[in-house]
Amino acid sequence: MAVDGIGAAVKRKEDFRFLTGRGNYTDDLARPGQAHAYVVRSQAAHATLGKIGTAKALKAPGVVAVFTGADLAADNIGGLPCGWGIKNKDGSAMHEPAHPVLAVGKVRHVGDPIAVVIAETLAQAKDAAELLDIDMKELPAVANMREALKPGAPVVHDGGSGNVCFDWHLGDADAVAAAFKKAHKVAKIDLVNNRLVANAMEPRAAVGEFDRATGEYTLYTTSQNPHVIRLLMGAFVLHIPESRLRVFAPDVGGGFGSKIYHYAEEAIVTWASAKVGRPVKWTAERSESFLSDAHGRDHVTHAELALDKDGKFLALKVDTLSNMGAYLSTFAPAIPTYLYATLLAGVYTTPAIYAEVKAIFTNTVPVDAYRGAGRPEAAFLLERLVDIAAAEMGMDRVEIRRRNFIPSNAFPYQTPVALQYDSGDYNATLEGALKLADYKGFEARRADAKKRGKLRGIGISTYVEACGIAPSNIAGALGARAGLYECANVRVHPTGSITLFTGCHSHGQGHETTYAQLIAERLGVGLDQIEVSHGDTNKIPFGMGTYGSRSLAVGGTAVVKALDKIVDKAKKIAAHLMEAAEADIEFKDGKFTVAGTDKAKTFGEIALTAYVPHNFPLDKLEPGLDETAFYDPKNFTFPGGAHICEVEIDPETGVTKVVNFTAVDDVGRVINPMIVEGQVHGGVAQGIGQALYENCVYDDNGQLRSGSYMDYQMPRADDLPSFKVATAITLCTHNPLGVKGVGEVGAIGSPPAVINAVVDALKDHGVRHIDMPASPQKIWGIINGNRRMAAE
Amino acid sequence: MNLSGEYRLPQPRQTVWNGLNDPLILRQCIPGCEELAKTSDTEFTAKVGLKIGPMTAKFTGKVTLTDLDPPNGYKIAGEGQGGVAGFGKGSAVVTLEEDGAGGTILKYTADSQVGGKMAQLGSRLIDATAKKLADEFFGKFTEVVSGPAAPANDSPATEPAAAGPAATPAGDGGGLPQSVWIVALIAAVGVVLWMVLGK
Amino acid sequence: MPKVSMTVNGKNVSAEVEGRTLLVQLLREKLGMTGTHVGCDTSQCGACVVHVDGKSVKSCTMLAVQADGAKITTIEGLATGNDLHPMQAAFKEHHGLQCGFCTPGMVMSAVELAKHNSNPSEHEVREWLEGNICRCTGYHNIVKAVQAGAKAMAAAK
Repeated sequence: MAVDGIGAAVKRKEDFRFLTGRGNYTDDLARPGQAHAYVVRSQAAHATLGKIGTAKALKAPGVVAVFTGADLAADNIGGLPCGWGIKNKDGSAMHEPAHPVLAVGKVRHVGDPIAVVIAETLAQAKDAAELLDIDMKELPAVANMREALKPGAPVVHDGGSGNVCFDWHLGDADAVAAAFKKAHKVAKIDLVNNRLVANAMEPRAAVGEFDRATGEYTLYTTSQNPHVIRLLMGAFVLHIPESRLRVFAPDVGGGFGSKIYHYAEEAIVTWASAKVGRPVKWTAERSESFLSDAHGRDHVTHAELALDKDGKFLALKVDTLSNMGAYLSTFAPAIPTYLYATLLAGVYTTPAIYAEVKAIFTNTVPVDAYRGAGRPEAAFLLERLVDIAAAEMGMDRVEIRRRNFIPSNAFPYQTPVALQYDSGDYNATLEGALKLADYKGFEARRADAKKRGKLRGIGISTYVEACGIAPSNIAGALGARAGLYECANVRVHPTGSITLFTGCHSHGQGHETTYAQLIAERLGVGLDQIEVSHGDTNKIPFGMGTYGSRSLAVGGTAVVKALDKIVDKAKKIAAHLMEAAEADIEFKDGKFTVAGTDKAKTFGEIALTAYVPHNFPLDKLEPGLDETAFYDPKNFTFPGGAHICEVEIDPETGVTKVVNFTAVDDVGRVINPMIVEGQVHGGVAQGIGQALYENCVYDDNGQLRSGSYMDYQMPRADDLPSFKVATAITLCTHNPLGVKGVGEVGAIGSPPAVINAVVDALKDHGVRHIDMPASPQKIWGIINGNRRMAAE
Repeated sequence: MNLSGEYRLPQPRQTVWNGLNDPLILRQCIPGCEELAKTSDTEFTAKVGLKIGPMTAKFTGKVTLTDLDPPNGYKIAGEGQGGVAGFGKGSAVVTLEEDGAGGTILKYTADSQVGGKMAQLGSRLIDATAKKLADEFFGKFTEVVSGPAAPANDSPATEPAAAGPAATPAGDGGGLPQSVWIVALIAAVGVVLWMVLGK
Repeated sequence: MPKVSMTVNGKNVSAEVEGRTLLVQLLREKLGMTGTHVGCDTSQCGACVVHVDGKSVKSCTMLAVQADGAKITTIEGLATGNDLHPMQAAFKEHHGLQCGFCTPGMVMSAVELAKHNSNPSEHEVREWLEGNICRCTGYHNIVKAVQAGAKAMAAAK
């Protein structure tokens, strides 16, 4: 292996610029002559929107332009498209209402954009926004899904069946019904997957620019997938051909899903830059992010698990309401369906599963994927239900899991909910976690805590997820309106340095280092000779971006495929130079040799020959050494693992402290263990955040009540422990690196481990379940028999 | 948000009633009130600026009175617009009862809704702010209806007015009639803007 | 408009600002020093921490005019050429950053902690960083980096 190749904990190449303040984030850009956009948003959750008087605002100091939905309509600007269609149980299409860039006729959530004011400075734009004369009449609003389903509830979009976006199902209802009839016991649960806000630390921003000379538009934006934005915005919204639209996502300060989607502001600044003939910049304030970034989760679920007398799972049925918010965000319909219900087998051999999912429109911010996206919801439901089943059966929580695991010799394993897992060893990750967490020593620690007046609990979750999104043909059959392959272009320069152009995008994941390690390993060149370029559609052939833990499993495989082509061609050149048969050329550690001789050429010599082809097989080969590969995965990848959480609750205050957290994950082959551990840490922190702290709250009128860091509780340094993290891997069988993906595992496995631990700590108080976030108020209410607080 | 509560005022009921319908008196009592105009027998418009900390916020409100039953009470409904800071609206049923000792007991039940940035950032502060402003209002109101009218513009909004002995909050609610309630919104706007911009 | 003068990373600068201009706006928008970031609008996240006369300050809580005459150090002023400051080097060594957005504020806060405490415990680091939010790392490696950076700063004295 190369020193800096696969498996090495190489320090990150990107760190220097971030540590010295030289990062280049979208809001750092100051384009010559740029004007500033302020987006005027609805303060009402639901209202009719009449005429918008702009005369006074247009006369305000510094104002360049004011645009409303009517101006966009006059230019034939389309609505924001949804990238996934779901079919109802009866085969009909989901209700897919229009999603205008600026509201027309009606506003449907607090934060719905109404107008944009463009001025010399942001302060002037804000001042002028106060002068708009907006004719709005507030309508009754609905924020809660159950309320939205009641007869007579306010209707968010006309033209559908009430507020139902789709009514979908998966699995075999008859088989499940039959199995329940034979059940020895049935474990039941009602639970909530709390609504979350991704809260990447960099607020979204966008700068639009129009080049009058070439007619080319440039959009600088905080995106996880610039090519997808170019495709959606160019083709469906602004009607600009790709050849005249450049989308560039420079350094992006975290995404976690929230920067996948095509947002209104991107279209607004791009379109407006041509209208006003100047670059137009918009940056969200944090309180604006809360009102305009897609939110995550927000499910209400009832589930039942049928068990036989030995504690084997016979069947599972699940009934879920999923909040779509006021409009369909880019991938929203896929999240509570194909990224959720397909995971309901989990790591278990449950033979029959049936899931029904109703997606609901409400007067709230649109909901879409947030780290894990559907899979944390599935894992939470299963792992809570398994703990409840263990309690009902009087079984040990570890034993009931072991008894139902898919055995390691059963792969490839076909689940009853469409997926085929390729590899895994759930006993290995569980045993690893039990050992690392000193599970055996827990009761002693519990007794010690009791002496100190604390309630200590331990919780386990064993999970699997599907990532490496996704085989295009399968996704297409399930409603995806895009392909989900990835692209890599390896450009070897004449002097032997290399640039990789990847369609994935790094916004914290360390691609510049991990991909460089793949290249160093294969070509035997030093990391300092390799640059990784991402984010610019004018440089990179194509790409679908970074989400669903796909950058290595799909993007990395594309790199490997491009490297294969580079090595193939380089061998041909080497064979020519050394007058040997191509079959006799060996390539190792950056050197081409002829088998059985001492003839050798370095990689650098071959690169130079490719570009200075004085002695070159021009009759058989083109000059140059620059190869592109597209890779479409054969299957999803299936990381899994076991998380163990230990909490201590202070009964005086109800405060829960996570005192130990252990994660043993199977993420497939590890390229850079330092980066892999960092990804798990971050995911676990977000999972603990969901379980204990974070909650996005709307009042009955659709007003967001947790719209800042004063009320939305982000996990802070002193809320979290240090984590114990390890891997116990099996290789993915269908990609050449054997990699599975690590971006989301932490956020998927951790929430049920935390809540299982909290419930365990409170077991003497008769608690079966506690909804997330397990706040001090709720817990204090439980301990003190205060039902109102316990329910909050 | 539902609020209710009561105040005991030393003035006779008719005096209190008249005061609650007199824009000149109300204008003196609402902290920071710049304009209060009676546009009809049952409608007022108000402009109020409130200074909290380093921030000044301007609020425009419209108030409508219904179910008038002089001097027993009325229903008051209103809404206020604070621009980007948000909006508030609601209604309150106000009743005046004689306390048997020459004074008046004012009771109210108010139902209100705040929206926009105020709800997003400041909703948990509004109850407390409303309570403080209600005390401030009734202190001033009692002073004004019982003595010679104070100058209209000397109400130091950043400090509690000489509340006190005259008007005594009763009950545990922090509620307030609508005209005051709008002031509470303004205060909330001020708090919020101070938090957001005055940092 | 008032004119302010101050030293930023050892250089004398002056600019005309509105009364309402925040120190972070002066740094980013007038002086083009975009290493200092803005992550929220309620002074919670700490991405904008700089040193004012040697003390760590959230530069979104301070008006530019209040910094008149002050000595400011930003993340751009820590390294010497290409040689990272010991705290920066420790963040790299221990993978204490991912997306890099909170990093400038984290590093500036950590440097001040290390000035007071050359051997902080995990608990002390976590308490000190309570005003800096990171969404990527779960703080695990930041804590390790700050402990190592504090020791390295003491050793370099």
